[in-house]
Amino acid sequence: MPLYVQAQESPPAPKVIVNASVKVQQLSHAQLRSIYMMRQVLWPDGSAIKVFVLPNRSELHLQFCRQQLQLFPYQLDRVWQKLTYSGTGTPPTEVADSAKMRELVASTPGAIGYIETGNDISELQIVQIQP
Amino acid sequence: MTLVSFKLSKSSLKPLLLCMLALFSESAFAEDWTWHGFVSQGVIQARESNFVNNDGEVSARLSEVGLNSVYQIDSDLKLSGQLMYLNGGNRFVDGLRIDYLFLNWTPRNTLDWQLDLYAGRFKNMHWAYSSTRDVAMTRPLIVLPQSVYFDSFRDIAVGSDGLAVRSTHNLNIGELEFIWSWGSTPISRDMSSRVISVDVTGETDQKFVHQASSYWRPTDSQMQWGISLLDSDFSYKKSALDRYFDGDFTTQRVMLNWRYSAERWELTSELMQERVKVQGFLFPQLLRNQFAQGAFLLGRYDWSELTSWYLSYDYFIANKDNPSGSQLPLTSGGLIPSYFGYQRDAAISVDHELAENFRLKIEYHWIEGTGRLGPNVVPDVVVNRSPTHDIWALQLLYWF
Repeated sequence: MPLYVQAQESPPAPKVIVNASVKVQQLSHAQLRSIYMMRQVLWPDGSAIKVFVLPNRSELHLQFCRQQLQLFPYQLDRVWQKLTYSGTGTPPTEVADSAKMRELVASTPGAIGYIETGNDISELQIVQIQP
Repeated sequence: MTLVSFKLSKSSLKPLLLCMLALFSESAFAEDWTWHGFVSQGVIQARESNFVNNDGEVSARLSEVGLNSVYQIDSDLKLSGQLMYLNGGNRFVDGLRIDYLFLNWTPRNTLDWQLDLYAGRFKNMHWAYSSTRDVAMTRPLIVLPQSVYFDSFRDIAVGSDGLAVRSTHNLNIGELEFIWSWGSTPISRDMSSRVISVDVTGETDQKFVHQASSYWRPTDSQMQWGISLLDSDFSYKKSALDRYFDGDFTTQRVMLNWRYSAERWELTSELMQERVKVQGFLFPQLLRNQFAQGAFLLGRYDWSELTSWYLSYDYFIANKDNPSGSQLPLTSGGLIPSYFGYQRDAAISVDHELAENFRLKIEYHWIEGTGRLGPNVVPDVVVNRSPTHDIWALQLLYWF
């Protein structure tokens, strides 16, 4: 299938959202990947990053992994399991759906998550993801 | 239990244990504690070999149970520990053990550079599956490719008591990771008997193991490339009535690692060359220096969201200058057959998610040669009389 057809069919990339306390306005794909691989655990001001994810089988999670992290969900899973069972890190907090994701990111200092484009973003900040 | 008490008697871990107990008493219910664990139990049969047991019968000695915790002491300091119970028959020492217990300090944690220092007992982070080789749901196979993940050597290769550093950089060319570690592992008589010879009675000591590795994940690529180096020295002190002599062993390994990830399938390969030098031990004047080689190619295909298939081919030769092992009978006075000089393992495996965090795994291996059956220095020619053997296994896994 030609690439341009794929591009036309691809849904818009999920928006990366952070709590209002976070001062960062843009991240690169690699930096976002470091955060979701749980290696980057502090924001530049020294505050702790709290990472939220949707369940593995969520379509939005799949889109987020592919378009924003440039990974497949199983690769992230493997990284989290390796961290968890070698003692070198802790996995992110899984939330049931987008509504819960929005609510928790809005109420948790240092939090980061993702939502569908076009959703209500009041009380949240959008982080631009640069190539 | 004896294994735990043996390992705790090593003074290097006492300060960490005391520290952990103090933290437990003050913060047992704090939010900064996280707990995880896993339980896996299976049945396995390794016919015509001593891989699991000496009679080749079906065995339930395929148990892996672990409970771990991380306590975040400060934003840049945490304490991690895992208690583990293993029972793998002849594959490794069975019993309860402290799998890891270390302090992790993160002096640099910027958006493009993360630096971590580890002190205590930590897992081997240098190979593709080394850091979680005992954690069943993180492994592609129940029995990993033995050329690289030689089970008889598991207790020595799985981790170290010492220091380690990991540095990860986001660069224009991609993500670059460096890992360095230095330490040693206390070696019990039981462990020695699985690595050196079933009838050792002396004391084996790992003087040090020094490892370094680097991984590169190029930008806009689904490939990963890696290289790792290992250097380790061991000594053997004979007992009063020992049939063996004092000896020194050196192991040096160079390994290349490659992985390609696609949406529904993945390929992983590791290639290694290992120098094994033996001085003394069998007789005082012995000096043996040979290079082993090994490689595996492992593929995974996601048949559906719940089911994945795995295919693997693993190749090992004990002496690169004699891949057929034909010199072994000549140099051992006819005691060691040529098939101890190599091992070729073709494996197929399937796993299926029965429920969330609950998996069933079934696997079969067809193997030619006995070069990766323990012990390594004085092979078990009594049980391993067949040049071919096979393994089947079934395992249920649960984790949280």
